[in-house]
Amino acid sequence: MFVARSIAADHKDLIHDVSYDFHGRRMATCSSDQSVKVWDKSESGEWLCTASWKTHSGSVWRVTWAHPEFGQVLASCSFDRTAAVWEEIVGESNDKQRGLSHWIKRTTLVDSRTSVTDVKFAPKHMGLMLTTCSADGVVRIYEAPDVMNLSQWSLQHEISCKLSCSCISWNPSSSRAHPSMFAVGSDDSNIASGGKVQIYEYNENTRKYGKVETLMTVTDAVHDIAFAPNLGRSFHVLAIATKDVRIFKLAPMRKESSSTGPSKFEVQIVAQFDNHNSQVWRVSWNITSTLLASSGDDGCVRLWKGKKLVHLQQEHRRLPSVGNRLQCSDRFLIFLRWVHD
Amino acid sequence: MSGSKPDILWSPHHPDRYVICDSELGLYRIGPVCSAETKPGSLPLSEETAATLLAINSDTPYMKCVAWYPKQEPECLLAVGQANGRVVLTSLGQSHNAACKELVGKEFVPKHARQCNTLAWNPVDSNLLAAGLDKHRADFSVLIWDISSKFAAETGVAAEKSRLPPMDLDSGTTVTKPLYEIGQNDACLSLCWLLRDPKLLLAGMHRNLAIFDLRNTSQKTFVNTKAIQGVAVDPHFHDRVASFFEGQVAIWDLRKFEKPVLTLTEQPKPLTKVAWCPTRTGLLATLTRDSNIIRLYDMQHTPTPIGDETEPTIIERSVKPGESQIGSFAWHPSSQNRMVVVSAANRAMTDFTVFERISLAWSSTSSLMWACGRHLYDCMEESAEGAERAAEKDIATKMRQRAQSRYGHDTVQVWRNHLLAGGNDPQLKSLWYDLFYILQWSAEDAELKLPGNKQSLYSGIKNIVKSSSGKEVSSRRCWIGSERQTDVPRYHSEERSLALRLCGWVSRGSDIDVETFLRSLEQEQEWERAAAIALFNLDIRRAIQILNRGLSSSPAGDLNLNVVAMALSGYTDEKASLWREMCSSLRLQLKNPYLCIMFAFLTSEPGAYDAVLYESSIAVRDRVAFACMFLSDAQLPRYIEKLTAEMKDAGNLEGLLLTGLTKDGVDLMESYVDITGDVQTASFCMLKGSPGEVLKDPRVQCWIENYRNLLDAWRFWHKRAEFDILRGKLDPSSKPLAQVFVSCNFCGKSISYSCSALPHQGRGFSQYGVSGSPTKSKVTSCPGCRKPLPRCALCLMNMGTPVSNCPGAGKSEEKADLTRENKLAKFNNWFTWCHNCRHGGHAGHMLSWFRDHTECPVSACTCKCMQLDTTGNLVPSDSS
Repeated sequence: MFVARSIAADHKDLIHDVSYDFHGRRMATCSSDQSVKVWDKSESGEWLCTASWKTHSGSVWRVTWAHPEFGQVLASCSFDRTAAVWEEIVGESNDKQRGLSHWIKRTTLVDSRTSVTDVKFAPKHMGLMLTTCSADGVVRIYEAPDVMNLSQWSLQHEISCKLSCSCISWNPSSSRAHPSMFAVGSDDSNIASGGKVQIYEYNENTRKYGKVETLMTVTDAVHDIAFAPNLGRSFHVLAIATKDVRIFKLAPMRKESSSTGPSKFEVQIVAQFDNHNSQVWRVSWNITSTLLASSGDDGCVRLWKGKKLVHLQQEHRRLPSVGNRLQCSDRFLIFLRWVHD
Repeated sequence: MSGSKPDILWSPHHPDRYVICDSELGLYRIGPVCSAETKPGSLPLSEETAATLLAINSDTPYMKCVAWYPKQEPECLLAVGQANGRVVLTSLGQSHNAACKELVGKEFVPKHARQCNTLAWNPVDSNLLAAGLDKHRADFSVLIWDISSKFAAETGVAAEKSRLPPMDLDSGTTVTKPLYEIGQNDACLSLCWLLRDPKLLLAGMHRNLAIFDLRNTSQKTFVNTKAIQGVAVDPHFHDRVASFFEGQVAIWDLRKFEKPVLTLTEQPKPLTKVAWCPTRTGLLATLTRDSNIIRLYDMQHTPTPIGDETEPTIIERSVKPGESQIGSFAWHPSSQNRMVVVSAANRAMTDFTVFERISLAWSSTSSLMWACGRHLYDCMEESAEGAERAAEKDIATKMRQRAQSRYGHDTVQVWRNHLLAGGNDPQLKSLWYDLFYILQWSAEDAELKLPGNKQSLYSGIKNIVKSSSGKEVSSRRCWIGSERQTDVPRYHSEERSLALRLCGWVSRGSDIDVETFLRSLEQEQEWERAAAIALFNLDIRRAIQILNRGLSSSPAGDLNLNVVAMALSGYTDEKASLWREMCSSLRLQLKNPYLCIMFAFLTSEPGAYDAVLYESSIAVRDRVAFACMFLSDAQLPRYIEKLTAEMKDAGNLEGLLLTGLTKDGVDLMESYVDITGDVQTASFCMLKGSPGEVLKDPRVQCWIENYRNLLDAWRFWHKRAEFDILRGKLDPSSKPLAQVFVSCNFCGKSISYSCSALPHQGRGFSQYGVSGSPTKSKVTSCPGCRKPLPRCALCLMNMGTPVSNCPGAGKSEEKADLTRENKLAKFNNWFTWCHNCRHGGHAGHMLSWFRDHTECPVSACTCKCMQLDTTGNLVPSDSS
């Protein structure tokens, strides 16, 4: 049973993104009011806003946390064509402002000529790397060579995807068997321009990212994309928010250790849900990738489970009272077996 | 707004009323759907709301446009523009007070009859009503009427406009003299009053947009454009105006009126309506002809560009209220993003809310946060109620709970781990019993110094059985308790009895004696299973005895047991007996699989036990044990091979009995992890296989790393430490090397280096800690160069001196605290220092200092040492 409660967010405009830190103790939100807010969970489980500051001169699309190993670091991206890296400074706050933390801008990444639509840190084992994608179809990978100096970022890779990019997701697998890999989604609504999800992989030999796969069956605009936490599984799972929720399984083909070419994948669509009956906006996996949450233009948040599906519905028409119980109906129980078939 | 196209108007004052204008006016009230029974005449609009028709007004024919009087009183007063240019005031309200009576029925007549295109009430001076009309070469196209004007006034001074023929001034309710007349020899297609100044009127004229000022009607500001239809002012940004032409929407900024600031992408079909959302900034809804979608444009704040001019970008969305084509829509004036949509064909209405796009995220602790509009929602999985819910819980929640109950850490009674896991998962139960037997027998074998068995115990029954071929001994035994010879051959070999031991059926010894096992089953009240196993050991009498005991112990008295016991007693080995025939047909009706396979066994031909072997609801361990007893050397490996493959494919942990902790076992575990994501069980299980090949498998290492990462994410730091200790014990190669060294300021050598050969931090430091020991008191100096070690910032003693009971701090509880900790570990004596200011001292002193202070104890140092590491300040969420 899931129970939802409302939090007074106090943003002056639409909230575009919510992001948890590694431990789930902190949260960042960003909004069209050009600000980012940081929230900390108190001992009693209440969320308290501990910082709020203007970050960009445009709507802030996404905000994301770096692994805590690199400190308390946030990255944000905006319609103002920039992405920025922020670090929390604890020692300098004086006692009058107790409970409020201080975030300072470490760098602004200004390479994009159009709105920066998504920003993501690469998995921890790759070091401190940041990826952005922009509406003009360019993915940029930055690296901070010295993790103690967050103001130095060098542009390592610039990959042109040809299509306007809306979202990006790193494969979180830390296994050496899997080269680092990310997927890019495009919100281009023209069906004729082909597959809207591209998968890139790092090639040790050329030291470049190369396209290894395009999901040709996804031809509608893609709004969000999420690799599932791998957790030592032998394959990768990718969830896509487009006109419906789609889940793809990418099973790496066993290849000879000597071959150096790009990996080949057996791509299989394992699930496709049109229960939102409208455009799907976001998808998110839980830590074990056994639950997927999706949101759509029908105003519903839905939960999907490996072998069956739980349906959650939240009416935003009326302001839900605190502790409003979500419907968790069994009407939509479907036997899916998408994980393993 | 002709007869073919309906329009909707929300009441400006009643949030639950709206009017549908068609060939007549229909007033509806919207409300929640009545739960009990639908009232007659209520039309469902959505799952929750329905509309009731309150009134119909068909007094005014030839309606072209309608506008709702903006004032509260008189309620439901509407102005209707007609095809002949007349504007009529009409009402749908019930209250007929004097003011209302006076106004209703009033007509405003232009000099020349032509179509009235649009009407607009002045939002401030509600007596002013602007009407836009078609072109007439001798007349004005925008007429502003004063509805309060007395009839007398117009009969009086009609001075200038004497050309006007008094048409049908039959009643006293007709007004022919407008207050203002503008736009001669022009057409007016759309009108709206500007919100920033109620004296300004924006009009979509023929081929231009014009702003008229009532204070000086002879002048106008205008811009030539084709986009003259549907002018609308943004209610949140009074300088922003939208208008359209064909399929194109133009957005204007009145401060820079020369050209549109923005032109929205052209639609293939002509637009029919454009409306700003009254509850949300910068949201424009547009509708095209013959379409079932409403397109929304969300205008973002323009970034202030440096230098060149940029177009503001907009987020485009389309929503589909229903399948049918939309005739018109109207935003609700106050409910957030809500609109009523009326279909073109059958006037079906839909109550529809445009939801904000929801973004969401899962936290590592299984709570879901989502943001909708400006609101945040935190969604938690409620703690489980009842045991049956436990099975439905997500594996992430399960793993967290299991980690807290020390799952995997019982290294003595290994089987107990399945109880720590909750005790309700048959696969885990089987797994931990398998591991228990493997470890138990191999430990015993090691004690007895039996050669060569250990490896084979880990390698699983599959390999054990493989190695046994050629050594079988078959025997035909008597049914115990009867003199009859069975025709069931039973096979024996050393490997087979080893396999039986792994299955848990028998304990050590050459003789196969299942009695102890049966007793334990009886204790656990697994009657059917006990009976079946007794029967497979050819002891019908014992089987019947068990069933009877089961019957008497169960309070309800399971009739099945009784029936089965009776049936068993009548066993006959005659091939063509009625007993056999009946049993083989009736056994299929038995619900309990163990009861079922008992008869399957008794009625099967020797060697053809498929009904037993492939009964998937029987535990693998029992099936394998059965196979080891009754399948020949030819059949057995084939069966085991097949079963192993099946288990591997299904990722069924029961199959670990067959594969053992070998590469096969890792394959099986891989499928299990692929399906469940349970890296916790995988890590603990594979660690039990050490020292062995399996731990070197990269997949195993990957699971272990992932599990440690999960513990980190949950802030289970104590659990993670315990896990690392366990791992270090079982897999010494995984022990991390020392990561921190303390080097002497003078000679630069590690101070622990000379004390201990082991590069193990704890060992090294422990030498410095034991209080009162004369031998250790020396080590206040570097063992390399004999120079003194730095001093503790608090007690000012050289490091290496044991912690005294805090001479400075007088708090007794603190003392007690330190002494207690002192007993537990030598931690208080450890070196610690701040990485930022490099000040430090005894760990115990530092901890007690920072309990009350935020700044460094060294005077004049303002470093906030303890706050620097935000992760370090996170409280572990597990109890130690």
